[in-house]
Amino acid sequence: MDSIDISELKDELEKLHSASFGWALSCCRRDHAEAEEVLQTVYLKIFEGKARYRGEASLKTWLFAVIRKTAIGEYRKRVLRNLVFLGSGEKPSEGPAVTEAPTTAFEKSETQKLFRVALAKLPPRQREALHLVFYQDLSLREAADVMGISIGSARQHYERGKKHLREWLSETEVEYGIGLGRKENPGAV
Amino acid sequence: MESDWEEKKIQALYSELKSADEQAAPHFGRVWNRAHQGQRRIRAFNPAFVAATALLVCALVSLAVWSRYTQQTQPAVAVNNPPPATVNTPPASVAMTTPISNDQLPPVQKRRNIKPSLQTRLSAQRNTLVVTNQKLTRDAKAITSWQSPTASLLSSPSDDIYSSFPQLNQSATDLKSFLPARSN
Repeated sequence: MDSIDISELKDELEKLHSASFGWALSCCRRDHAEAEEVLQTVYLKIFEGKARYRGEASLKTWLFAVIRKTAIGEYRKRVLRNLVFLGSGEKPSEGPAVTEAPTTAFEKSETQKLFRVALAKLPPRQREALHLVFYQDLSLREAADVMGISIGSARQHYERGKKHLREWLSETEVEYGIGLGRKENPGAV
Repeated sequence: MESDWEEKKIQALYSELKSADEQAAPHFGRVWNRAHQGQRRIRAFNPAFVAATALLVCALVSLAVWSRYTQQTQPAVAVNNPPPATVNTPPASVAMTTPISNDQLPPVQKRRNIKPSLQTRLSAQRNTLVVTNQKLTRDAKAITSWQSPTASLLSSPSDDIYSSFPQLNQSATDLKSFLPARSN
């Protein structure tokens, strides 16, 4: 990859950086340090030419697919490393310290906390499908490309995930008494 | 209607999450520069590359030692087993019974321009084949002349009676001789 390509790609990556970080966070179970490490590895792969964009899909789709694969690879490595350490009787490395994201007033809100818990409980595929559609504004076709599955499977994961979230929404309203913004029907009186 | 509202709510929750993540996202330049530094570090010292190089060097050294060792030991073998003078004219009995014909043996004398070390090696190989053939011949002879140690137990004194049974084309008068003699 020559310097012109790198500089062009760098500009594009910079534009997509925050979205990429959001996707990396989702792939790393909301672990900020791990997400940053994954993103760094992805940039390194691009730099070295291990991940090469051939223009077969949109840059965003390709980049997200690379991030997803890298996150899975890193997770496997970490699990294996921990297993090896446990087998040898040594204390497993904790890995990069999980750094808390800057706590904003928003993050402290109860609804958002519960929403994150609900997302964490979802199966990974469903969580990915929902994230790509709702968070990244991708179409189901693009989400399927990122996840490396057929559009039918992506649709199924998306629908099931949405169903789970709907159930969670109704449960939250009942159990916690949190008003999620539903407006009273004025005509019901 | 209900599902629309729920979908909009999910969308809103995701938008809130997105804005929070954007605030928490690390600076692009920092991540990019760290990736750069990582690349330089990898170029400077790659454990996998070092291990592969060490393995290759070990393999080359062991190959060199092995080839040197074999070169040293082969002439000694050739000296210990010098080729016999009658290698090309084996005994007739051996030549008749040996499973490997003379044509299959490596032609030592046909190629006069072969290097001496190769020639001695071929002679040694040929000598081994001849010895093997002789052993095979001895074994074959022993097998053909073998008799069971219990073969004598199978023979009995009445063997002659069984061998003197009347033939079908014999006359009736001749057959009378086989009948037991009656007193009255």
